[in-house]
Amino acid sequence: MWGFIARKLIYNVPVYLGIILIVMLALRVQDPVLPQLSKNPSPAEIASVRENLGLDRPFVIQYLDLLKNVVTFNFEEESWTQGGKSVGEMLKDSIPMSLAITVPTLGLSAIIGVCIALVAAYFRGRAVDKILMIFAVLGMSISYLVYIIFGQFFGAFLPRQAFGGENWPFEINGYGALFLGEGASPMNWVSYYMLPVIIGLIVSLGYDTRFYRAVMVEESTRDYITTALAKGAGKRKVIFVHMLKNAMIPIITRVMATLPFLITGAVLMEIYFNIPGMGFQLINALRALDFPVIQGFVAVLAAMFILTVIATDVLYALVDPRVRLS
Amino acid sequence: MIKRMAKSRAWRKFFRNKMALVATSLIGVYALIFVAIVGVQITDATGLTDVGSREGLKLRVMPPKWPGFLEAPDVDRRYDSLDWQIGNLDRLFKKDLNALDDPAGELGSVSLAERKLAELPIDELRALLDETNDRFDTLNEVFGVLEEVEDEIYFLPDSLAEAQEAGDSELVAELEAQLVSFKAERDEINTRVDEGLASVEASLEDLMPMPTGLDGLVYSFRTMFGSDVLGQSISVRAFYSIKIAFQVGLVVATLSVLIGTLLGAMAGFYGGWLDGAVMWLISTLSSIPYLVLLAVLAVMFSGHQYFDNSAEYPELQLVKLYTAMGLTFWVGTARVIRGEVMKIKELEYVQAATAIGFGRFYIVLKHVIPNTFHIMFINFSLLFIGAIKSEVILSFLGLGVSGQPSWGTMISNSKDDLSNYFFWEVGAASFLMFVLVLAFNIVSDALQDAFDPKHV
Repeated sequence: MWGFIARKLIYNVPVYLGIILIVMLALRVQDPVLPQLSKNPSPAEIASVRENLGLDRPFVIQYLDLLKNVVTFNFEEESWTQGGKSVGEMLKDSIPMSLAITVPTLGLSAIIGVCIALVAAYFRGRAVDKILMIFAVLGMSISYLVYIIFGQFFGAFLPRQAFGGENWPFEINGYGALFLGEGASPMNWVSYYMLPVIIGLIVSLGYDTRFYRAVMVEESTRDYITTALAKGAGKRKVIFVHMLKNAMIPIITRVMATLPFLITGAVLMEIYFNIPGMGFQLINALRALDFPVIQGFVAVLAAMFILTVIATDVLYALVDPRVRLS
Repeated sequence: MIKRMAKSRAWRKFFRNKMALVATSLIGVYALIFVAIVGVQITDATGLTDVGSREGLKLRVMPPKWPGFLEAPDVDRRYDSLDWQIGNLDRLFKKDLNALDDPAGELGSVSLAERKLAELPIDELRALLDETNDRFDTLNEVFGVLEEVEDEIYFLPDSLAEAQEAGDSELVAELEAQLVSFKAERDEINTRVDEGLASVEASLEDLMPMPTGLDGLVYSFRTMFGSDVLGQSISVRAFYSIKIAFQVGLVVATLSVLIGTLLGAMAGFYGGWLDGAVMWLISTLSSIPYLVLLAVLAVMFSGHQYFDNSAEYPELQLVKLYTAMGLTFWVGTARVIRGEVMKIKELEYVQAATAIGFGRFYIVLKHVIPNTFHIMFINFSLLFIGAIKSEVILSFLGLGVSGQPSWGTMISNSKDDLSNYFFWEVGAASFLMFVLVLAFNIVSDALQDAFDPKHV
């Protein structure tokens, strides 16, 4: 197994180098110096700012420098727009906020999605199944942005107007520290993060339910189900015990495959609800052409992505003995 | 080829699916609207009406933020719009119209699309405007009285509470009687306000009659979903967005399916270093979170003279979206096609073609790629939806279309209107988008069922 992991890691080195290369090249289409200067800068001013930012060096040197920083876990480089905050600090501040939204969303949507899919598979072809699937398709067809806009309106704005701000748990927007920092309290999760979680849950349920149902339906045509039914096991027992156990493999794969998107998954949610998580910071940095932040965040994200993909492969082989690590 | 396709079992299965047929015809309706708008723009056929042309989009058709059909505007909005319209007319008639070079053009400047000033001599129009102004003054007086009464009703409960505390039962009774009478008076004044508004609206209608006939039809189409913050027609803009959506969807889906198929098929068929290179590109691009990659690629164009915010070449703005999405979306198609081609290349007919002595590239083009058509179809419809949805998201992030309406800009521009309980703009845009995406979802499901029933 260790050989497999090592091989995967080595295979992914060029991929990782490619990611950083593509992002750095795409960024350098824009000139980040001009937004940092006054209106009519002299050539000398431009040159001095360029030198300060380290952009006068050849591209290869800049590339290697970033790689060196990533390999040595050195994220001390300062953001250009956030008043001297280092990239590492920004990562430390924003990751928990993103996770506070995405982890509950992922967990709940997997659990609820599997439950609904089981119900749909149990009533396969009957009215219940059809209605559930119609809802899933309808839900998938609504834009994510519309969910967020109307979710905030009906989940926070309207009830706060109706019952008064103190009597409603959800804030319209904003953020609060959960465990560390000023005014930290786990109760902040309810007021700031719970509504985004609910909205995200509704969005992802449409996709998840359909996928899980397809898995169940596929599983229900297998021979072992026929055998179990022929032996006289009850339909309920066959579905909830035999089938669910075997359907766990694709379910786990899917959950694992969504893990890397946890970090950026809620970009729109964070921007709309004004929560400075990773997606929010990354998009803001992109708008302001804040190169160190963009490059640092992308480097971290891509590394996490590659590691989870490898972990998924390994886990897949551990869960399913039919898959060989080769 | 079409004949052969129509005979195949999979297509017959697809055409038996009634939902899929309904969805396909819905997409057809959208496609017709798209073709019509493009036709109007290419031929510049704006003689009949300017619905569908770029100029028609910016036309002021109504007072700002006027609600659409079925919703009656509230008193405040009716009053504001009267105030706005009468103000416009006043400003026009303050000028010495007979002395102007172009009185007709000047008179046309207050028109709301098809709703133009009545064709009467200027003196008669002026008399009508005076009449309207008189009625408006009366209405203002009624509003003044209403305000006083409402003040009394607002403050009386306080004095009442004071009197109750003091135990002055006589005063309490008197105040209670007063409150009741004030409330009755308020109801009476409210009916007068309604009458006043109706009378001003009626005389304004004499001045600017509602269009009839074909113009009336066009005007009621324009006013169907109300107006946005600049008084532009929401329905015209929402339907115009179909053009942007189809343009983005068609170009992006075609581009990514073509790139994906070509690269995927080559990688799968040739193997070796080509496969390695394509797989490297695929893994690299898919390891950057999709939204981040999309945003990074869109940022490349921001601030560009022609590709960003250029009013001169509005079509060029979309190049940004095509590039960003085209470079992001081909990855999924390539991966699927590569897998399929690796299966196909072991089949007998490919071996037969090799044995006959056809070139490898010829075999890929002639024998391998045609056998992945079903994957291309499914991917095309999925990518079409993906492009429309991503356009909305990019527009929300400020990286999408600007200066011309699209569902994304409409939704993100009107998100704050919700707190004023104004749903028409966001509602119209999201409804039209929802129907199209739903239709495509149903069609791609049906395609999946017909061609690839084992797919999970």
